[in-house]
Amino acid sequence: MNYYGGCDVGSTYTKAVILKEDGAIAASTILRSKINAAESSRLAMQSCAEQVEGLCGPEDLTYIVGTGYGRNRVPFAQENVSEISCHAMGVHITDPTVKAIIDIGGQDIKGIAVAEDGTVKNFAMNDKCAAGTGRFYEAMARSFEMSLEEFSALSLRAKNVIPITAQCTVFAESEVIALVGEGRPPEEIAAGIQMAVAKRCFVMAKKAGAVNHITLSGGCAKNEGLKKAIEKVLKIKVTALSVDPQLMGALGAAEFARRKGGRK
Amino acid sequence: MKDLKYRVFFERLLSDVKNELVEQALDGGRLALGYSCYYVPEVLLNLEGCFSVRLRAPGIADTSIATYYMSEKTCMYSRSILERAIEGGFNFFAALLSTETCGMMHRAHEHFEMLNLVKDQNERFFVSHLDAPFVTKDYALRHYERQLQKHILDRLNDTYGVDTSETALRTAIEKHNALCRVVTAIGEYRKQKNPPLTGYEFHLIELVSECCPHDLILPYLEETLEELKTRQPDETPWYRVRVVLAGGENDDPDFTKLIEDCGAFVAADRYCFGSLPGREEIEIREGETALAAVARHYIETNQCPRFMNPEKVQGRKRYLKQLADEYSADGLIIQQMKFCEYWEYERMYCQHVMESDYGLPCMGIEKEYINTSTGQLRTRFQAFVEALETKQLAREA
Repeated sequence: MNYYGGCDVGSTYTKAVILKEDGAIAASTILRSKINAAESSRLAMQSCAEQVEGLCGPEDLTYIVGTGYGRNRVPFAQENVSEISCHAMGVHITDPTVKAIIDIGGQDIKGIAVAEDGTVKNFAMNDKCAAGTGRFYEAMARSFEMSLEEFSALSLRAKNVIPITAQCTVFAESEVIALVGEGRPPEEIAAGIQMAVAKRCFVMAKKAGAVNHITLSGGCAKNEGLKKAIEKVLKIKVTALSVDPQLMGALGAAEFARRKGGRK
Repeated sequence: MKDLKYRVFFERLLSDVKNELVEQALDGGRLALGYSCYYVPEVLLNLEGCFSVRLRAPGIADTSIATYYMSEKTCMYSRSILERAIEGGFNFFAALLSTETCGMMHRAHEHFEMLNLVKDQNERFFVSHLDAPFVTKDYALRHYERQLQKHILDRLNDTYGVDTSETALRTAIEKHNALCRVVTAIGEYRKQKNPPLTGYEFHLIELVSECCPHDLILPYLEETLEELKTRQPDETPWYRVRVVLAGGENDDPDFTKLIEDCGAFVAADRYCFGSLPGREEIEIREGETALAAVARHYIETNQCPRFMNPEKVQGRKRYLKQLADEYSADGLIIQQMKFCEYWEYERMYCQHVMESDYGLPCMGIEKEYINTSTGQLRTRFQAFVEALETKQLAREA
């Protein structure tokens, strides 16, 4: 049996997926990224390989594709593919009905329109600052002294939304602290933060040409409060994926590996 | 592919505005004339005893003082030029020839006067501002010709006694055309399926032709052209796709290199100072004066999005498509400096029109003058290359 690997070295998390010959997922891993991208990829792929009987490490895989910001530093990858193409492919093989993706990663937001065959039709990216990214959420949750899951749950309890005016992560954090200090309801502030990010997602999705059948990928896709806010601003129901949305980049990379490696 | 003989030399020349060839010309008593816009005809700054120097600020790291004077909502190119001027980087200039075309750059040029930037080094230094037309009608052409006479030729003649006679202009045009012929001949190699030079190398060549005295750089360019005749490229083309790179100011060869590192060969260039159409020869028609020919040439070939008349607006799109066809490009990358008032609109417009009306996949990039976030740009370029490749495979299938 041949196995194919995809390794998505993100700025915050490193994800790895191993696919069987028929495209079924054999194993997956999500690890916090280290400062050294090569080491992150090695740890993630090793941990993933150990989950599959008969595999000892990355060297036992037939073909590996690297992706993510550290894609050039995956030492055992035969090639690298941009995370934009990989997210499109990962989502496409998970749910071929999806036509657009909002990928909220650790350091950027991407709007990706997907073609019928899973390739990228168009994309737009916000990579100039951390506003609305995973780093932004980490800072906001920190202001509430909560985990990301608790923060998401808190926002869902809000009956009203307090708008957050600052887009900059640093200033937004100060604004949140000031609002909390004023005694404003925390759940309404949290809902305001979700709405601010949803608006940025709206712009990216529209810039990429997203019309319908949209889904979320990346770590922030697990944030239920954000999903609801995006549905509200886009006026489209967000399609839920059957595979962890944080794995989409690695899954797409593994699928590219399967297609390319299978031809060898 | 073996390195070009003068690649490192060209890179060195571009690392400083006052490079060794500029120094050599200054030592010979010639006048350095700065300019930053296609509306200022380079040929008029290369009359006997003068040489043109394109305004650049290589390696600029901080624009704090310029930002104070011009605000942070202005393009980094204009702020970088002002900052470099404040640092004394253009103190060797005899004059700065400016236009009221790009508003932000014009403000930067005004600060040369307001802050007395070069004048304290050279009493006779002047900044001259010419008014350029928005349309291409006959009256606009005549106005432009008068502006060139008044704000460039007369100022040079009055201040430094530069010979601006018909004969002197014709000689300058001949020399200019000789340079254009060599650069164009080098650029033509990019049309080959397996070209003997990269887009990065060509960008270096085009830039040194704008940043160095023409007569001093020409021998190196001629030798490079000879070298290319026998230069052997690798057996199979190194690139995955071919692109046209268009847009506003771009004097950063590393930007071209970044695109090429992602697998896209920059087969044709069409920016403020690109070789296309920047290195087209000037033709003097029968019965035309040299100055009239220069004015007509620079208005006719001008691809600046500042032109509002429909022929120019449509012509710009047709020109990009023509370049894509001639240079067998699979796609188009349009780069725009952040806050560039003209290209901001043009880029958005092109992104839609080039794909929908001309079937040419197009990616828009908003960039800084000196790019630091190369990781993010790399992701965008690579994704575009992958998308173009997919389309290519689909076409072949």
